[in-house]
Amino acid sequence: MKAARAARDVLVLAALVLYAVPFFWQVLTSFKMDAELLSLPPLLPESLTLAHYEAVWAKSVMPRAVGNSLGIAAVTTAVAAVLGLLGAYALARLPIPGKGIILLAIVASTAFPQIATVSPLYLLMRALALRDTWAALILANTSFALPLVIWLLVGFFREVPEELEEAAALDGASRLQTLRWVVLPLTAPALASAALLTFLFSWNEFLFAYTFSATEASRTVPVALALFPGVFEVPWGDIAAASILASLPPILIVVSLQRFLLRGVLAGALRE
Amino acid sequence: MLFDCTTELRVGARRAAPCLIVVALVAGALLAAACGRPPAGSGPITLVFKHAKILGPTDPVGDLLRKFEALHPGIRVKSESLPWTTDEQHQYYVVNMEGGTPAFDVLMLDVIWVPEFARAGWLLDLTDSEPPAELAAHFPSAVDAATFGGRLWALPWIMNVGLLYYRADLLDKYGLRPPETYDDLVGQVRLIRAGERDARLDGFLWQGKQYEGLVVNALEALWANGTRLLDEDGRLFPDPARAEEALAFLRMLVATGLSPPWVTAADEELTRRAFGNGRAVFLRNWPYAMDLLQQPDSPVRGRVGIAPLPRHAHGARGAGSTGGAHLGVHRHTRHPEAAAALVRFLTSEEAQRVMAGGVALNPTRMALYHDPALRSGHPNLPEIYRLTLAGRPRPVTPYYLMLSSTLQPELSAVLVGIKSPREVVRQSRARMAHMLRDLR
Amino acid sequence: MKPGRHGDRRTALLFLSPALIVLAVVTVYPAIWLFWLSLQQRIPVFGIARFAGLDHYQFLTVDARFWNAAGVTVAFTAASVSIELVLGLFAALALRAQCNGRRLALSLLLLAWALPAVVTAKLFEWLYHPNAGLVNFVLGGRQLNWLGDPGLALPGLILADVWRTMPFVALLCYARLLGIPAEVYEAAQVDGAGRFAMLTRITLPLLRRVLLIALLFRTLDALRAFDLMFVLTAGGPAGTTETLTVYAYRTLFQTMQLGFGSAISVVVFLLVMATAWLYLRALGREEARA
Repeated sequence: MKAARAARDVLVLAALVLYAVPFFWQVLTSFKMDAELLSLPPLLPESLTLAHYEAVWAKSVMPRAVGNSLGIAAVTTAVAAVLGLLGAYALARLPIPGKGIILLAIVASTAFPQIATVSPLYLLMRALALRDTWAALILANTSFALPLVIWLLVGFFREVPEELEEAAALDGASRLQTLRWVVLPLTAPALASAALLTFLFSWNEFLFAYTFSATEASRTVPVALALFPGVFEVPWGDIAAASILASLPPILIVVSLQRFLLRGVLAGALRE
Repeated sequence: MLFDCTTELRVGARRAAPCLIVVALVAGALLAAACGRPPAGSGPITLVFKHAKILGPTDPVGDLLRKFEALHPGIRVKSESLPWTTDEQHQYYVVNMEGGTPAFDVLMLDVIWVPEFARAGWLLDLTDSEPPAELAAHFPSAVDAATFGGRLWALPWIMNVGLLYYRADLLDKYGLRPPETYDDLVGQVRLIRAGERDARLDGFLWQGKQYEGLVVNALEALWANGTRLLDEDGRLFPDPARAEEALAFLRMLVATGLSPPWVTAADEELTRRAFGNGRAVFLRNWPYAMDLLQQPDSPVRGRVGIAPLPRHAHGARGAGSTGGAHLGVHRHTRHPEAAAALVRFLTSEEAQRVMAGGVALNPTRMALYHDPALRSGHPNLPEIYRLTLAGRPRPVTPYYLMLSSTLQPELSAVLVGIKSPREVVRQSRARMAHMLRDLR
Repeated sequence: MKPGRHGDRRTALLFLSPALIVLAVVTVYPAIWLFWLSLQQRIPVFGIARFAGLDHYQFLTVDARFWNAAGVTVAFTAASVSIELVLGLFAALALRAQCNGRRLALSLLLLAWALPAVVTAKLFEWLYHPNAGLVNFVLGGRQLNWLGDPGLALPGLILADVWRTMPFVALLCYARLLGIPAEVYEAAQVDGAGRFAMLTRITLPLLRRVLLIALLFRTLDALRAFDLMFVLTAGGPAGTTETLTVYAYRTLFQTMQLGFGSAISVVVFLLVMATAWLYLRALGREEARA
């Protein structure tokens, strides 16, 4: 019985490895030499090379793009976390006229298609002379990050027993202090989950970044990858290396911070 | 996020891990931001020159820019490359210049964009930067394409014309001369393929992918049939019957296998490589391909000839589409004199001679085509000269890009057989009429 | 409602207004502006900015390219979502039965979901390469032109999308499955129910709500999908993979027709919101029934 179970487990794992083959194939491609790239019957290469990674790191715009993506994602996460924390607490605990409608509107705005907001945002950024700056993308990313954070956190806040806050109030704590010292420690994992999701989505974001970045220097990673230059023909090896670099933060988040990530994803979906 | 951490550490060290990762990321971001900011400019003038990557084994532009810097101390030129396809380049320019802030000073323009950018007010008027005698040295069609509203908005830099490449060895073997009509071409392909019995030998390669190159090929097909795309009043397909015939011919090439099916997804490089590997009898491409086909390691070295594009029964003669690149200056550049000087330098005779001598970049100055030094390295220059004079420009209108992006999916639909030529002509006319209603 | 404290109202406004202000600027204002833009003919390149009323919408009703894009969007959504649901459910069931290596299994599965869509597009562009692509190799060396053949491009796109979004569905179902206590199945086994009966009588009904939620999320995401098709095929060949979002984007930023492009975007917006509303009503009925 146990052997059958173990065999079954291995089989499922093997199937999942197979599922992830597209990604592993790209990893392999990134280490293949140019001469071996375009001929397929030999699946495995005769020798491995770091030439593509060198080319991407030294000669392409990717390093700068990684800096841009990291910065924009970090600031977006910070902004969404702070504003979302305060806003969600207010919506969960404090008296606000029309609270139900406001919350509904915020949740509904997570469904807004990006294509719908991109042209007005483009005109707005142009008017504010913000095109090609981090600020433009941070603002644009906030448009989907902030509603998401609020939505996730409102649910978590509602789970904190009110007695704890009442006790803090009796001790003379202000709302802000209550939030900071009582509620926050209990929901910190939830906030971490929301922040991770925000970071992930911000890193992966393409449409706004593609539209609002004018110069090479201001591109984010997905845009740099999409506009990867080729001279004679498509440099598949270099693109593969760039793709792997572009995937590192998402993979890191998924593998090492799985627990928090899952919590965030599930909270949003299962807490209707 | 930071105040979160102190609480976390008090509650449990195990929970600190995600927090630390976040702090690390934020710190990394700030570090990258500090390093990533471009330093404030001061000191010598820096011009930013945006251009597409030059196809070929060497890139002469870098040397030319250094020479310019040597001639003009106090000016530095920073060269930046554009995205790969012309459509992406156009979008890049439009999105940037429409915004107003000039991130570049001198730009390399596809000839078809000059009227549009001029109309939009993004280019510096260069009419007075060159004396008429200098301008007369360039191909008239190149100068005309850069003229809008009676003023000159860009200087011609690189010239192109569509040509027919053919396998001279195969045609000689069967006693054939380059085809004058498309019927001849079809007959020759059939004859040669029957004789060679090589399943991997394709007939006629051209660019059928859904991009600007497809519009060029379609234009050449229309001209070959004695009609054109736009008339003087701006009406699309003024002679629908002939336009439908021309499109039907292109579809026939794909449907009957005279052109391989992948032609519908092929651009210049894909077809050039296939032809260069000996896999086809005929190729329609630009002059740059010739130098690459004559490289020492090319399988078809010495076996390729060029000829004018054929015509159909209705056409008087086949014509290649002219194209090429011009150099313009951004209207709001901070250094107009320096930028104009750079443009004049790069389009001067010495610069064009250097470019023509190195790689397959044909000059816009007519005299260079008869230069003995250049001819010794590129024996086809006189032939290309004649063909360029006989070439026709694409419609010179500010609305060319709108036209092209409207036509591209329609033409692609004809090639793959989704729509009939009649439907495409009818629907394209309706769309363009709607689009152009305001744009008179 | 317990009595609020003095100054709570002020605190509430203080806490909430920064978020509301930001959202108003980047979400509400653009949404309203979009509708206004769609009623104008606005082409910055030529300096045109005039009111056009419902002209764009009138043109859309007879625009073949628009109806083609709508068809592609609907076909893409329907095929993608239905395949994902089936595969996702299957994967969740397999994961649930897993004893060891769950974390590894989840990591492998979620890899596809976490990657940026652009990376996935490049991944599949390489996989679909006619000569050097793994897909053709696995199919026995046939030279299928996946991204250039009008009959194959859309299926190829759908396959890529299913690959990257199936893990999300699997995750939702898996989480719900974890919440079903083992006793339920044990009791059914005592009653003599077979595996298939347990699946259809116990598991599926309990998963119904989560499946509806997954359906909601995935349908909305598929309707507004952009990154994958834009980078993989750019709407080609011959518009066979041009969804409404790609059509809108090309109109907006390749030809800079901001008014007309906004009209198409409005259609996408209304389509997405209407779909969301329909699903939420269905979910509401589920709640009432439960």
